[in-house]
Amino acid sequence: MKRKWTFAACLALSGALALSACSGQIATRDNPGTAASGQVNSAGTDALIETLTLPAEVADNVAGIENYNPWSPSATSKNYFYEPLMIRSSMNCQVVPWLATEFLWEGPVKLSFTIRDGVKWSDGQSLTAQDVAFTLNLKKKYPALDDIGLWTNSFGAKAESVTAEGNKVIITFTGNAAAKFDSLITAKIVPEHVWGSVGDPAKYVDTKPVGTGPFTVGSYNGRKLVLDRREDYWQADKVKVKHLVIAGNFDATNAALKLTSGQLDAYWGEIPNPANSFQAKDPNLNHFWYAPAGSTVFTPNLTKVPWNDAAFRMAVSQGFDKQQMSQKATYGVMGVASQTGLKLPYAKALLPDAMANTDTVLKYDTAKANEQLDAAGYPVGSDGFRTTKDGKAMPVTFSVQAGWIDYQGAADIIVRNLKEMKLDAKLIASPPDAVDLQKKSGDFDAVLEYLNGGCEVARNLGAKLSTDQFPTKSEVRTNVGRYSDPATDQIVTQLSGSTDPAEQRTLVGQLVDIMVTQAPVTPLFYAPARMIYRTDKAVGWPSEADPYATNSEMLLIMTKLRSAK
Amino acid sequence: MRYFARRLGYFLLTLWAAVTLNFLIPRLQPGDPAEMMVKKLAGKDAELDPAKIAAMRAMLGSPEGNLFDQYVAYLSQLLRGDFGVSYTYFPTPVTDVIAKALPWTLVLVGVTTLLSFVVGIVLGALAAWKRNSLFDSVVTLGSTFIGTLQAFWVALLLLFGFGYILGWFPTSGGYDSSTPGFNLEFLGDAIYHSVLPAAVLLLLTPIGWILGMRNTMIMNLGEDYIRLAKAKGVPDRQVALRYAARNALLPSVTGFAMALGGILGGQLLIEQTFDYPGLGRIMGQAAMSKDYPLLQALLLFTIVGTLLANLVADLLYGVLDPRARKANS
Repeated sequence: MKRKWTFAACLALSGALALSACSGQIATRDNPGTAASGQVNSAGTDALIETLTLPAEVADNVAGIENYNPWSPSATSKNYFYEPLMIRSSMNCQVVPWLATEFLWEGPVKLSFTIRDGVKWSDGQSLTAQDVAFTLNLKKKYPALDDIGLWTNSFGAKAESVTAEGNKVIITFTGNAAAKFDSLITAKIVPEHVWGSVGDPAKYVDTKPVGTGPFTVGSYNGRKLVLDRREDYWQADKVKVKHLVIAGNFDATNAALKLTSGQLDAYWGEIPNPANSFQAKDPNLNHFWYAPAGSTVFTPNLTKVPWNDAAFRMAVSQGFDKQQMSQKATYGVMGVASQTGLKLPYAKALLPDAMANTDTVLKYDTAKANEQLDAAGYPVGSDGFRTTKDGKAMPVTFSVQAGWIDYQGAADIIVRNLKEMKLDAKLIASPPDAVDLQKKSGDFDAVLEYLNGGCEVARNLGAKLSTDQFPTKSEVRTNVGRYSDPATDQIVTQLSGSTDPAEQRTLVGQLVDIMVTQAPVTPLFYAPARMIYRTDKAVGWPSEADPYATNSEMLLIMTKLRSAK
Repeated sequence: MRYFARRLGYFLLTLWAAVTLNFLIPRLQPGDPAEMMVKKLAGKDAELDPAKIAAMRAMLGSPEGNLFDQYVAYLSQLLRGDFGVSYTYFPTPVTDVIAKALPWTLVLVGVTTLLSFVVGIVLGALAAWKRNSLFDSVVTLGSTFIGTLQAFWVALLLLFGFGYILGWFPTSGGYDSSTPGFNLEFLGDAIYHSVLPAAVLLLLTPIGWILGMRNTMIMNLGEDYIRLAKAKGVPDRQVALRYAARNALLPSVTGFAMALGGILGGQLLIEQTFDYPGLGRIMGQAAMSKDYPLLQALLLFTIVGTLLANLVADLLYGVLDPRARKANS
């Protein structure tokens, strides 16, 4: 049966029945101006903001080498020239139409986008569906540009063809490609009339960007990039920043000082204790919002005794003092994480009904942990440390990334907690590269790592539990702990190809169930996507009250900022 | 002549060894540059997207052939002056990246090294000549004390005090709103921005010269020829400058040559603290992000610089001090 839904139907039925990208977890809306929560931190006025100063987007990008090629590893500016088809906010999982106004799945193997009318490139020519098809096909010819995995079998089947028909772009896939949607819509579109004749685009030094974005290059002196607002931008009425200055590559100390003195308007690097070092200096103008992007998790090596025993892992998970870790690693800014592996309360809609109103954070209870360890059959030996079931010593070497202060703070507490559970734990700090090597080789007892809380659960929690996501010798993949269970693999495959929100919720529920009964990894506290900003010039930044975006959706934020005066 | 030929021979041999090590060391390092790059772009807490890594690998390319073939290719590239393409600034050639940063380091570190040497030698010689005086105590104790401070700490202190609290000097970068080139506005801007980093260097680098010069000179002052000169009735000034200081200067010449060669390495920590656009900052970033082509070229320049400076010092030494020439031939 051929399933067909239009975008409007998708809106009308939002949450009831729809395809992957317009489902219960992904409500769609056309107008990014109206936030989901209906709250904006301050109304602001319709005036233009004369200048706004932001830090360099990529470390060392403002180093005197001018190149706006969107595929360059250090493009002078990545966000404001070439735009994506759609933007899916990693916080509320809503899809905001951008260069494409609608999408339509015809089964999970054929996807079409309707390209927006009236969008002009900065040289005056009109954006066409042909430009979009050209860009996507460029990724086939030059694999170096295929950073969205369109033409490879990574997460969903690879594309077979991309063609333009009228104002539509039609993509066909060799198999179920539902899982590709999230990365597919992020493709930055370039104009065919420029990029068609530049040779290998990966090697093209783009000094005069012709994009659809809200800004053009005003001036660049090797140090400071000044972007000028485009009058003819397709949603110019929403962009209030007249000059956007992108300058400087600051460390946290420097950035905090610059923010406080007003030389910088926003920053998203790791400023420790922002409440004290920044906000307290001027609580009316200085704000920060550390949105949970995922969780910092304790990941044991499941191929080793005793971590291969779910009862052992569950017992140990109760013995971690997460509250104190959050306090020490994040100054209490990031909340303790739910054992479900979902970031709550943002992903609350995905929780199984049975858990909807329960606290899914495992309580710190050393006595209970010890009791359960005793019951699971790990006796305390003569030296005061627990042994394996057959009485052998079982030391735990915990590896932590040296120099990652938050991880190290948490690691100290983890090791202390493990000792409270009478485990012979030892902490070893090694360079992050060395820890990555351990993850690849599988030669470790336990590490701290990251569980992404993005919108596609199959790619995040799902990948963490999939056998095909074991790290290899040459690649760090997601399933560091090497959890392996054929039934779970089945659930993840089903989830990544699923197009039915009710089914998706059931499947996510099954993954959550594995997390809370087997603890393949133990989430400790949420890991932040940081946003530190001043509101003396611009208001409308994302905040806890209006969590419409994170620092990875700067283009979206640019359309929501309004003048403070 | 044999002395010079031998020095040249040593120079070539060390150069070859350095080039070979420079080729081998990155290849023995764990870690994949493409993965590093994606990780750096994504940030610390982020899931690595395999599609991004695959694209990055395709972009940066991977070396072809076995290690020996790569070595031969590397040598022939070097001979042609081709240092490859930077990973971080792909597709910009490494030489372009270095050319952007070179003038900054050359001027900042070059000028301060020269000034430090002169100031250090003069203060050291004076302290030795007036040893055990108040001046000597202040200079020696003072520089020993300052010498124990970490450069980046002093840099942060100055940055905070003069940059943020007093606001007298800019806090980061090499220039601000002017356009680079030979115009007064830019030169003024650049000098203004270099005051704080230069102050840190001028505070810390003379110390080695002061203490070194003072010690050698004190040793020389105890020599018989000084006593003879004094007995002959040579004026104090001449004894100090012509006899003692001149001889005490010899070891410092080699040191100075090494320091000049080392300029190409930049001042890593200080340049990073002030976000100064020189070679040291680039080197730090290249090391962090495993930008091997850039790192290799920078290390090679530093090594060649030091070796060349050493060679010149050796040759000069032969001219300055006939004993060296004789002992070696």
